Amino acid sequence: MAFEPREPQKELKYDELRIYTDEELNNYTEEELKNFKIKHDIPDVEELEKGPWPSFVADAKREALHRQKLPEDRMMIARECVEDLLGQLQLSFDDGETHWKHGGIVGVFGYGGGVIGRYSDVPEKYPSIAHFHTMRVNQPASKFYNTDYLRSICDLWEYRGSGLMNMHGSTGDIIFLGTFTEQLEPIFYELTHVLQQDLGGSGSNLRTPSCCVGRARCEWACFDTQDMCYELTHYYQDELHRPAFPYKFKFKFDGCPNCCVASIARADMSFIGTWRDEIRIDQEAVQAYINGEIAPNGGAHAGKDWGKFDIQKEVIDLCPTKCMRMEDGKLVIDNKECTRCMHCINVMPQALRPGTDTGVSILFGAKAPILEGAQMSMLTIPFMKVEPPYDNVKELIEKVWDWWMEEGKNRERLGELIQRYGVPKFLEVIEVPPMPQMVKEPRSNPYIFWKEEDVPGGWQRDIKDYRAKHKR
Amino acid sequence: MEDIKKAIIEFAESSKKTKFYFKDLEKAVQKTLPDVKARQIKKAATELINEGKLIYFSTGSTTMYGLKGRGVTEDH
Ligand code: HEM
Ligand code: HEM
Ligand code: SF4
Ligand code: SF4
Repeated sequence: MAFEPREPQKELKYDELRIYTDEELNNYTEEELKNFKIKHDIPDVEELEKGPWPSFVADAKREALHRQKLPEDRMMIARECVEDLLGQLQLSFDDGETHWKHGGIVGVFGYGGGVIGRYSDVPEKYPSIAHFHTMRVNQPASKFYNTDYLRSICDLWEYRGSGLMNMHGSTGDIIFLGTFTEQLEPIFYELTHVLQQDLGGSGSNLRTPSCCVGRARCEWACFDTQDMCYELTHYYQDELHRPAFPYKFKFKFDGCPNCCVASIARADMSFIGTWRDEIRIDQEAVQAYINGEIAPNGGAHAGKDWGKFDIQKEVIDLCPTKCMRMEDGKLVIDNKECTRCMHCINVMPQALRPGTDTGVSILFGAKAPILEGAQMSMLTIPFMKVEPPYDNVKELIEKVWDWWMEEGKNRERLGELIQRYGVPKFLEVIEVPPMPQMVKEPRSNPYIFWKEEDVPGGWQRDIKDYRAKHKR
Repeated sequence: MEDIKKAIIEFAESSKKTKFYFKDLEKAVQKTLPDVKARQIKKAATELINEGKLIYFSTGSTTMYGLKGRGVTEDH
């Protein structure tokens, strides 16, 4: 299905959008970088540059040098902001505490999210980062950009902000790191009116929905993750920009259980593609894998000699539900027992493919809170068909939101509310009966306590009679 | 709608606090207007934001509402 934008889109004239020339962007040599010292002494911060990993400190120094060599009138906030940022970080190492003040009334008009106010609490020492607000930019579905677009967005941020950005934050958004209050509205105007890009979510609202690459590139996608992400992002604009939830709420869309955007670990409502018919098997290709004619795992582990491919050891024995076997030289799968873990498909992608009767599993309640430890989301809807305009999904979402907005305490995530009330209450709210798929094993999952009306015939129990035999 | 907005402003002016969770607004409105639903209260709060009477206050993870010009200044 071809992409149809919700609103007519202007063609961007990149020649006019660009702010800097190539010479201005490549304005220092590697030699200059080697000799470059920022204006603060930052011995502890520089420790982070050691070791084999890329370091944000090394990146920030490049940006600091770049800003030093740009003409003063080519940047709207102070050129030293990156140096001051590193300086203040060193001070935090010295003092063992942060020097950022959290929060404030910064934002763009009419939006309750997308801008996160940050102020230095030592502004006389580091004046160029007295304000250091963060902006979240709603990434396009699956993070597809062309390079012209990326250059334009980087130019904008170099000009009106610190030039430092995250591609992308763990929320999915592009994160612009650090600017002054008076730059917020101009940036917002430029983004929305010129680059046709919205701000993302922050605070007590729907966060920027994000999805895996899905059908754009991946044959395993069991539903169109990009389309659903785009549709729900537009449909829930009010929830995204005007906060009235008890706390944050995240949707994430994974096309299959490989879970490339980790929706199961990071979303209050995770959509994971699945199928309810059978794994498609090409027996000839299975033989080709066994005979070593096709490299397993798409050749991914080719760097080392792992010996001959052993289907028993590498696939069948590793199936978590032990539902595969070889029978008369043919691979057999007991699909009723298969949990759609994707392992066998990942190892032998040319031989095995997801089924064709596809949809989503919906899971609720993942969170990574600081105090209680991380929690994965819980399988609640084993299978749902999803087709535009996704009315069945929207109906479910709204039941959940209504309950959470009504019962949730301030700063209580959906997963915590479900824990507080118990799963049976949650199922009652969304009008879904308890199902075996919801329970992984006794004890590690919440039990279902039946009510009398749930059980055909009900039951009779005389509590006095019971207490006569069983003391409290 | 106007009576909801009035109830919000009255609460925001009389409360000891200067920043409120949405739930605080909701409870305050429902005290005088018990039948009003959260969605309507949100609409009213959004109108007040657009009129510049209420402002958002955000820490990044949580968002609160405040009365423009009371207690908290533009920048801090
Ligand atoms: C034919 C007789 C019985 C069978 C087939 C049976 C079977 C089971 C099974 C399958 C479990 C779940 C095990 C698990 O947690 O994975 C269980 C748990 C348990 N059974 Fe039995 N059981 C029997 C008799 C009894 C008796 C006579 C008692 C006590 C006097 C008992 C006490 C328990 C307890 C305390 C648990 C743990 C419950 C929990 O997980 O909280 N069982 N039983
Ligand atoms: C030789 C005697 C016993 C043995 C070997 C035994 C063994 C076990 C084992 C292996 C478990 C599962 C632990 C877990 O994985 O959570 C268990 C759980 C339990 N046992 Fe025993 N048990 C014995 C006696 C008893 C007695 C006499 C009672 C009660 C009067 C009892 C009550 C329970 C209960 C209530 C649990 C469930 C705890 C939970 O909620 O996880 N057990 N027992
Ligand atoms: S989650 Fe599945 S469908 Fe989506 S990109 Fe990853 S492997 Fe492909
Ligand atoms: S997908 Fe996983 S559970 Fe299903 S057959 Fe393959 S290895 Fe087994």
